[in-house]
Amino acid sequence: MEEDLKTERKGQLLAVKDLPTLPTVLDEVSKLVARPESTTEQVARLISMDQVLSAKVLKMVNSPIYGFPGRISSISHALMLLGFNVIRGIIVSTSVFDVMTKNMVGLWEHSIATALASSTIARSCGLRDPDEYSVAGLLHDLGKVVATVQLPELKTAIESLVKQKDLTYLAAERELLGFGHDRINAWLAAHWKLPPNIKEGMDHHHSPQTAQLYPEMAAVVHLADFLARLYEFGSGGDDNVPFVQSEAFKILKIKPKDLEAICDTLNERFVEVSDLKFT
Amino acid sequence: MEQALAGCVFSRPQRIMLLTPDAGLRDMLTTLWEPGQVEWTHSERGRGAIEHLFTEPPDLLIVDNDLPDIKGLEVASIVKSENVYRQLPIILAASEEAVAASSWCGVEVDELLITPSSPTRVKALIYLTLARASRSFDANPLTRLPGNSSIIQRIQEMMDRKEDFALAYADLDFFKSFNDKYGFSRGDEVLMMTARVIVTTIRSFTGVRSFVGHVGGDDYVFILPPDTVEAACQRVVESFDSIVPHFYDEEDRARGSIVSTDREGAIKTFPLMAISIAVVFNEGGRLTHYGQASQIAMSLKKKAKENKKSCYVLDSRGRNAVREEPE
Repeated sequence: MEEDLKTERKGQLLAVKDLPTLPTVLDEVSKLVARPESTTEQVARLISMDQVLSAKVLKMVNSPIYGFPGRISSISHALMLLGFNVIRGIIVSTSVFDVMTKNMVGLWEHSIATALASSTIARSCGLRDPDEYSVAGLLHDLGKVVATVQLPELKTAIESLVKQKDLTYLAAERELLGFGHDRINAWLAAHWKLPPNIKEGMDHHHSPQTAQLYPEMAAVVHLADFLARLYEFGSGGDDNVPFVQSEAFKILKIKPKDLEAICDTLNERFVEVSDLKFT
Repeated sequence: MEQALAGCVFSRPQRIMLLTPDAGLRDMLTTLWEPGQVEWTHSERGRGAIEHLFTEPPDLLIVDNDLPDIKGLEVASIVKSENVYRQLPIILAASEEAVAASSWCGVEVDELLITPSSPTRVKALIYLTLARASRSFDANPLTRLPGNSSIIQRIQEMMDRKEDFALAYADLDFFKSFNDKYGFSRGDEVLMMTARVIVTTIRSFTGVRSFVGHVGGDDYVFILPPDTVEAACQRVVESFDSIVPHFYDEEDRARGSIVSTDREGAIKTFPLMAISIAVVFNEGGRLTHYGQASQIAMSLKKKAKENKKSCYVLDSRGRNAVREEPE
């Protein structure tokens, strides 16, 4: 599992290293954790807004040391099982890369928006445990972060390719790396032993029709990604609204016009987070 | 040395057996602790001592590598090859040269005492060896939580000091049917999860004296001050109930029940697992013996078990109250 991922074009490596996290959230979580009267829900809500911290927490609780790998996919359950001490440890040892915020401007906002949209869609489709959809939504572009933080020169190359040929970020990644962030997500999720539903949401959010085990998860994140881009909340690295796979609607047994009601709910929820600034 | 090691006192007198022909070593060791702290049994020869070792095993064996009648390592290997004596910690005393020349790695000795050595070093070495042995002696092999004898010892200590405390016994309902259907390794996952829920909940009450132990199987014990125990029970029940469905397969979770065989072998439907907690209070030195507490707890447990959902029962100085999580 300690294997690094080798890119296909230039033989560069994506290494299993520390990932960046966002400074302000880190600070907020530390404050909340330090206060004895804080509840698990408050801390979970904050941690859920940081994709890197969320991923680390889930990775930790699903590690074989705790004895139930692959079972836990909700942040608040992870907090109940890990306890504040372990969380504090994770936060303290999470290295903060300024590069990240500068590097991928707007990606964090895009991830939050996708997380919100994922749980909204899951709820309106009557799916169980909507919070788990939100986790997958939050983490769906993590592969982009990992690739650009670890291979800084790659980022400039992708960006100029996106501009030059008006490609999607994914297409540019594929041209330069030989594969996209969806494959990097699969590698990360496997390495961290994340539960299979979260993994499929992460690595099939561009191709829900090929998801084997949890097509609903992949379809929800797929549509959520689309909505987040449609609303132009944050940025996924290019200006395109991605092509919607019609299979996503089929999988969720909804019609495209059902998105209207979802959008109404989303309007309100986006307002709730729009004043959250994490810089 | 006396000041630095002053905190290294034992909670009960330790019995140490020493096998050495070296009078100097014997004199140094036997004066390390005040009389009453350590009870020494000394023998210059190995063979005769083995029988004594087997009939009245000490807390620690210190054996010299150079005994006149048998090799020290041989004594160690005789003791360690018997399952009932394996937990007895052994310190092998040998000179630097003897250690370099012998193949002690193959024998399960716990520590090496390189002679000659200073009293400070030796005292620390013995203390650490005994402390480590008592920690690992009855730890639950799955959860690594303290086991039965540590639990009883802790409770008895608190009773003897007339400390106020609440003692909670927790166990799982329908764990057996889960185990039967999903197998032992999935059952172990649930036991690990339960231990974790209890540990993190109890640890979240900072600045109080607390304790968590694992009696075995699906039986757990925790101790908290009387005024915090109800909040802890609430949180344990809440966390357990929200997490445990995720340890079932999709369809069982959706249905909220499993089909498995009962104790008589008949096929039956069982609800999802629940956690029951019985709490005994000891205030104002009401209880004086561990047995009293466990007896009260067992009768409360019956009350808690009448409820198929997760719940806790408080024994409030005779007034019993059953609480269950609201739907």
